[in-house]
Amino acid sequence: MMDSCEGARKGIEEVKLKEEGNVSAQYESCQLPITCFTEIANDASLHFQIIQFPKQIYVWVGYTSAKLGNLYAAAHTRPNNNVSITSLIGGTSDNTGSGLARRLVLKTGLNVILACNIPKNSPMIEAEAEKILVQKLNSLGYGKSRLEGTSV
Amino acid sequence: MTQFVGQVDEKAEFPRESSSAISDSESSLLPMNSNSSTLPSPQFPVRQNHFSVLIKGNKTQIVVMSYEDHFQVIATQIGTMGTILYARKEEGVSMNPTFSVSVVFGKRDEPMLEACARQLIEKISLSGSSKPLVLSLGLKDHSTETLKGIISAVIHKGLW
Repeated sequence: MMDSCEGARKGIEEVKLKEEGNVSAQYESCQLPITCFTEIANDASLHFQIIQFPKQIYVWVGYTSAKLGNLYAAAHTRPNNNVSITSLIGGTSDNTGSGLARRLVLKTGLNVILACNIPKNSPMIEAEAEKILVQKLNSLGYGKSRLEGTSV
Repeated sequence: MTQFVGQVDEKAEFPRESSSAISDSESSLLPMNSNSSTLPSPQFPVRQNHFSVLIKGNKTQIVVMSYEDHFQVIATQIGTMGTILYARKEEGVSMNPTFSVSVVFGKRDEPMLEACARQLIEKISLSGSSKPLVLSLGLKDHSTETLKGIISAVIHKGLW
């Protein structure tokens, strides 16, 4: 019993040492453009975070809080290149954000992962958030949708 | 007090005009409007840390974000978020915490990815946080060495 405890303790120490040994890696700047901004709409804060991958976009929309909200994935899919959306986290009967994810795919032609904590039954807030987001995506160069975008 | 080091990256990796990439920064509540032509914005509520590291010869972009109720980690070598996993600590009566890890998008037959998520949620739990983790792994290979490199880099630069 004492031998096995001693063995376990040594094993844990080895793992810790290995962990510490691995942090000598060279860290450089991240090459993914990340855009974060906040707009005030109807006396409430709308936070936006956009991470631009070469073949994908991650977007987070936060309404007054920094909660992650529901997570959706949307993309053009075979056979007809229509846009499909699926809820990954949260978003069961509450599908706030799924329409936004779909329209982002239509606009950008890229696969979209969208996290959104806009409360349900708030179409005005959703519309305002979409307007602001589209303006920002236009400024980032996503102005024209690409029908030949990546399909899943 | 954390230090913010920023630079404008003129050479985005893909052709469209893009906002500047903020270089590796210490974790902080940053004035995060990265477009240099606008006025500084109020502090952004999501803490972030983003950097790149070479793992097994593959340049890996890593972004660690702390939302109010989740941590999110993105590690990519392939230009997309890849497989997305959800890991959380399960509250129970036992003294020892238990964790659940599930793949919510992408490859469901790669146990090393789940092991990676499991390691990170354990580390988060040990640090005292019970926030769940959303982990995105877009990797060229799923070898032990690669995943250990990811775990090591994320733990070193984590926000917990």
